[in-house]
Amino acid sequence: MKNRISYGLGIYTVLFFIYIFTPLILIFIFAFNRGEGYVFPLQGFTWRWFIEFFRDSLARESIGNSIIIAVSSATISTILASLLTIGLIKGKFRRPHLYITFLMLPVLMPSLTIGIAALVFFRTINFPLGIPIVIIAHVSISMSYVFLIMMSRIEGFSLSLQEAAIDLGASWSSSIKDIVFPSLMPAIVAGWLFAFMVSWNEFIVTYFLIGNNSTLPIYIFSQLRFGISPKVNVISVLVALFTFAVILILVSAGKLNRRISPV
Amino acid sequence: MSTILKKNRNLAFPGLLWFLVFFLLPLSVILIYSITERSLISGEPVKFTMANFVQVFQKRHYLIILLRSLRISFFTTVISITFSYPVAYFLAKNTRHDRILIVMLMIPFWINYLIRIFAWKLILSDNGILNQVLMGLHLIDEPLRIMYTQTSVLLGLVYTYTPMMVLPLYASLSRIDDSLIEASLDLGASRFRAFFDITFRLSLTGIFAGTLLVFIPALGSFAIPAILGGTDSVLIGNMIENQFNIVGNWNAGSAFTLSLAALAIILVLSYSRIFGLESIYRNRGI
Repeated sequence: MKNRISYGLGIYTVLFFIYIFTPLILIFIFAFNRGEGYVFPLQGFTWRWFIEFFRDSLARESIGNSIIIAVSSATISTILASLLTIGLIKGKFRRPHLYITFLMLPVLMPSLTIGIAALVFFRTINFPLGIPIVIIAHVSISMSYVFLIMMSRIEGFSLSLQEAAIDLGASWSSSIKDIVFPSLMPAIVAGWLFAFMVSWNEFIVTYFLIGNNSTLPIYIFSQLRFGISPKVNVISVLVALFTFAVILILVSAGKLNRRISPV
Repeated sequence: MSTILKKNRNLAFPGLLWFLVFFLLPLSVILIYSITERSLISGEPVKFTMANFVQVFQKRHYLIILLRSLRISFFTTVISITFSYPVAYFLAKNTRHDRILIVMLMIPFWINYLIRIFAWKLILSDNGILNQVLMGLHLIDEPLRIMYTQTSVLLGLVYTYTPMMVLPLYASLSRIDDSLIEASLDLGASRFRAFFDITFRLSLTGIFAGTLLVFIPALGSFAIPAILGGTDSVLIGNMIENQFNIVGNWNAGSAFTLSLAALAIILVLSYSRIFGLESIYRNRGI
């Protein structure tokens, strides 16, 4: 009985994975298909859509903007979040759980509400829409993610190490720089990559704040709204390969499934 | 010791300040918009009103969209629980390869969700892949009309958010001590009884955490109905965008946004009251 159940569950799980991966595999196939439409049977291999994609200057500009936004927001949010985590968990805060609840809001609230709130706020103080605002908004979101990653790491870090360093004559600032930060380094790296991916994939908040500029998700969205072209398949292939690379880095950084799980 | 703590504490302030200025302050600004008339920047005297909230229940059009969004998000959640429970159970109890399988499950998650929605557009359109296959097999004579309906929106939401349900479910199931189940079987419980009274009950934290991670984003979804949906599948998210980008009524738009945010906050807070905050971030597997 038990074996039959686990056999059934195994088959179900395989079907589930097929369900999850089939759409992506279809996208991959049609990125290299010669025909215009998405019709079977396939009409032979081509690089044509890749060439068209890279000739599209808006696509190149969107990728560039996405990289700028993701790198800057990940860097700012990782710095802020690591300081925040050390301060909040290893500092003299009363009721840290209250702060943690608040800090989890950006993760758990619909991003639409965050985007609208930022739009209204920046328009009210008359700050022009564009890349800087998008970076700020992305930091507000990804800071919480990095904070969550750091928090699970820092709880295992004992204050006594820092105390010992200070007892042995280290200054407070060098105890932070030489003891606390190095021991958090794996979490900092994972946090940065996580923040990068959050920003890189972020669409809704960007959509409201980007103004006349474009990022990769915005480019994909506009392509999808006005008919579909195999260029979107090309982006998908490139994004998937890039994602793979990031996951491999995280995996080789160790403790993989604790870090690359979503949200 | 206490001076170390005090100095450490100061490190938190830049982050807290950022959070205050760029997260809480914008939320308070839309709170103000939602309870006033006209724009704050127009310079006219501010008048307070509850009309922005009241109109959601007075205008039939808004009420329909609101109820539809709640219904679709509810079904998304229920379907994703049903789909992912057996998978989570298998991963937690019946395989040793659970870690690598979870990583595999996360790969599509990290690929932009617009791309995954695009895949569903390819599959579901009138001359899409599903219809090509079904007609090729002569199972149907004319294409199924799924694209641009509530069904396609539901399918897209389920596909997008189901992995979010698997993770917390897997986390809660793998924490269950198998000896509890063995003990209950030894004491004469049937397998069904053991499952419902022990396994299922202990996995409720996972179900509720997953519900937060699926229901809230589904309720606030905007891109999925915009791409896969038609005129009968406009959801709250699209209505809000419409208020800002087309109608230009910031006050009404803010009221809708704030209601959505408040609902999310209430759900999160009641969850953390019942199950404790830890279980949210622990369940997320970060």
